Formats: sequence, structure tokens, C-alpha cells
Amino acid sequence: MSSELSILLIDENVDRAKEVIAALEESRYQVRHLASPSIALLKEVDAWQPDVIMIDTESPSRDMLESLHMISSYSPKPVVMFSEAEDEEMINLSVKSGVSAYVVGDPDSARIRPILDAAVARFNEYQRLKDELVQTKGELESRKLIDEAKRLLMDVKGISENDAFHSMRKTAMDSGQKMEDVARTVISMMKNMNF
Amino acid sequence: MGNLEKEQLTIGFVPLTDSAPLVIAKSQGFFAEQGLQVRLEKQNSWATLRDKLHEGILDAAQMLAPMPLASSMGLGCYPTPIITPFVLSLNGNAITLSDALYQELLQVNELDDAALPLSAGLLRKVIEQRKAAGAARIRFANVFPYSCHHYQLLDWLESGGISRKEVDILTVPPVNMVGFLETGEIDAFCVGGPWNAKAVRSGIGLTALTSFDIWENMPEKVLGISKKFAEQNSKTVTALCCAVERACHWLEATPNRFEAARFLSSSDYLDAPLDVIAPSLIGSCLTHRDAAPRHVEFYNQFYSRPGQHVNKPFVTSGEWLLEKMMMVGQVPESAKGSISVADVFREDLYESVSSSFVRAPF
Repeated sequence: MSSELSILLIDENVDRAKEVIAALEESRYQVRHLASPSIALLKEVDAWQPDVIMIDTESPSRDMLESLHMISSYSPKPVVMFSEAEDEEMINLSVKSGVSAYVVGDPDSARIRPILDAAVARFNEYQRLKDELVQTKGELESRKLIDEAKRLLMDVKGISENDAFHSMRKTAMDSGQKMEDVARTVISMMKNMNF
Repeated sequence: MGNLEKEQLTIGFVPLTDSAPLVIAKSQGFFAEQGLQVRLEKQNSWATLRDKLHEGILDAAQMLAPMPLASSMGLGCYPTPIITPFVLSLNGNAITLSDALYQELLQVNELDDAALPLSAGLLRKVIEQRKAAGAARIRFANVFPYSCHHYQLLDWLESGGISRKEVDILTVPPVNMVGFLETGEIDAFCVGGPWNAKAVRSGIGLTALTSFDIWENMPEKVLGISKKFAEQNSKTVTALCCAVERACHWLEATPNRFEAARFLSSSDYLDAPLDVIAPSLIGSCLTHRDAAPRHVEFYNQFYSRPGQHVNKPFVTSGEWLLEKMMMVGQVPESAKGSISVADVFREDLYESVSSSFVRAPF
């Protein structure tokens, strides 16, 4: 928890920004404030790669942040939002919309640090789970493909499961392809031949 | 009427000329006629409008046509089933170049002026000359990654043989477009009214063409509702569609269009002068400070006419938009299987509510 983290603070409300900066003095968070909406926002994010982005829910600049998803070099960041509205609905929104946390009401140092800490921790956990899920899904998918190709080979060529597997593995090794890709070729070949 | 599941609704909109159906339904009392008390809540960004709709802070919202698909697939957000039973508008966008880019284009092509709608091919020499000089690429802006504006811009560029890789495209909130064009932070944009007319009136841009010149009659804004809300409040949804449809019909008459511009200009809505809102509502596309407006008959369409169903959310239109999203690489493989367009573009729901419209649709 002690490593330094950089925050890009996008807020047209200069007074509130000052409060945030004051609240985070002598903490592990380094704040850079951007007061006016401009293209500089995208440049800042791209060049500076902040660890956390803080923005007002009602800021028009939110849509500029949306387009960051489209930049291939961009890796997702936890986003912390300010909301004037002190209703619970806005807080629920945070979890579901992928926003890491909402700071509702005035930012003060007693509250803002734990909120940021929790946001960063939750975001990292979420990313980890997401990566894991993508990996698991991929593995499952490739196992399914290999099984299907194996079955087709067994049916068509009348060979054992073991022989089907070894013949695919040999092709994979000889051609430097992944098993999954060999399986795909086998399936499309067999299907085209109407077996 | 009566026994609606919910009578008080909060509907989100973004202050643009094509929010007219919602503004008129409210100002002409069409919501009230259906037993609805509606609060229209102005939104500053599409992302926040989306998040509030997902969470039920908004009951319904004016959305960019690709947004319900993006929400359902979880693109840029947590996957949330959002549907549309009703198309609000089409042909309302336009592409405007900064006057600086326009003059550069004329100069490198050795032209005195250029025919409109402008051919994107004329940008070819600008791109090459800038490249040779080591200058910055042409920088375009759209309003949201999942927007017709984005795909219209790309289609226009492609029509001139210009690939996505040869230009920069970024997202800018509509309200900042004209300011950024003026400071040179962007060279051109694709946006809805009143921002194109505003750039022309300010003498800083050329409106090169409208979305009608690019796509011709594809949905741009739709009424977005969460699937859950639609299931739990079917009578309310019917009433809502009837009120908005009534407003769309009201907007057919040209004299009413001018009245609409007057309502829209109020600080509750667009907070912009009449002379930038009215033109695009009466088929006039302002082009340039030194040139006459161009007549675009179907600029901003809100209502179904014989042979042309503006308001029906055709599944085929949804599929067409999804294809655009895929072509620009916005839809990951894992999301492709998760979407059924017919569950989002609810042609069936439109059909069933249309029997309650005040007049039978064509």
C-alpha cells in the first residue's frame, strides 16, 4: 500500500480540486489537476499514464475518457467520480458501471484516502478476475475444438482417440501451429468434405 | 389511460436539435395527455446518461442508436440489457471542417470553391502534403465511440479512398466541438445540431455535408429503456411511445418546426440562439459564412411517412449498425455470440404499441 500512485484530477470546479489536493497532501497519491476541458486531457492520459483518474460525473469530458477504450495502447484505469447528488443510487452505479468508486459530497482527507485505497484495490482485483476469466474461457474453447476435431478424425479415419490426438499434435509440431489452430483446420476440412 | 404502472418518469436527454420529439412531447402536453408526468433531465455526457439509465436513475433516455447494442454487449460498461421500441430521429448529423482546413483543401487542389456535398477525396492531397511536410495529421472528432457520427465519418472518408489509419479521430463532447474547432485542437467534426450551424454562424467552419448525404435514412437517436423496465411497465411504455409519436407527428408541419426551434432555444433545453437551431429543422443546411445555405429536404426527420417508417426500430437497421461496430473492431469475439439484435431493436414492441397511436401509422 505504500507505493506512490499518480492521480489525474479532471475538475472544472477549481475550489473542489484544491480541496482534493489539500486532502491528499503527504499521502502516496500524486495529484495532477486539469481544469479546463481540452484535448490535453487525452494527451495527459496517454503520456502520463496515471494510475487513477478522478472526474465529476456531470463533466462533459467523461465522453472523452470513453474514447480511451478505443486506444489500443491504453490499459484500463480505475476511475473515481465526484457526485453532488447524495443519493444511494449513485453509489450503486459505481460498482455496476465499472467505475471504481464515487466520492459523494465534499471531499475531505479523512474520507477520500480510504475511498481511493479501496477503489484501487477493488479495481486491481476486478482486473485480475477479468483476466482469469478471459484465460479460462479461451482454454475451454480450445479444448472443445480439439475434442471435436479428434472425434471427427476418429469417425472418418477409423482410428483410436490416442492416434487422432497424436496425428494432430504431429501436424502442430511440424507446422509450428497451435493445437487449437490445427483443430480448426481439421474441422473445417472435414465439414467441407461433408463427412 | 389510467392504471399505468408508473406515472412519473424521469427521461434523460442531451441538448441537441434532435431532442425535439422529447421536448415537444413535454411542451405541447402530449405526455400529460397520456397520463404521464415527465421530468426531462439534461445530461452533459452520453456515458453518464448511459450509466444513469442502467441504474434506473433515469427511466428512459434519448440514446445514440448504437448505444443499446453497446450496453447489451457490455462495451465500455457493465453488460445491461437496454432495448429500444422507438426511433426518435434520423438525418440530423453533419460534418464540418474548420475554415483553415477548408482553405488548405482549396489551395492544394487548386480550386476557388468546392461543390457540396463535399467529396472526401479532396482530402487526399491535404493528407499527402501534410505527410510530406511532416505536419500533424488531420484530426477529426466524433461525439462517442458508439455513435452513428463515428461510423458516418468513417464511411465518408472511405468514400474518398481515405482509410482510418491516415487520420486522427477522437471523442469530444458536442458542447465543446465549436470551441475546439476555433482553437485548432481539432480540424473537423461530425456532430448533430445546433453545433454545425453554430460553427458556420461563428464564421469558423464549412459544413461539408449532412448525414443524409452519407447514409440516407438510418436511425440516429432512439428511445432507450432497460429491458427490465419495459417488462415491468408495459402500459407506461405504451403511453410513452404514444406521446412521443404524437410529438413526432406534430413536428411534420413546417410552421411547427419553427415553434419547436423556439422551445429548444430556451435555457431549459439547448440554451442557444434561434438562428442556429431553426435552419436544420426547416431543411436548410448552413454551409459557410460566404455562401448560401444548401437545401436538404430530409434534414432532421422525426416521423414516419408513407413508404418510410422513421420510428420503427427495424431489426435490419440494428444489424446494419452492429456490422458497422464490428467493422471498426469495437466488438470482441466473446461479445459477438452474446447479442441478439431482435432483443434490442424491438420491432415487435413497436408493432404492438403502434395500435395505440392516436392515428394509425402508415
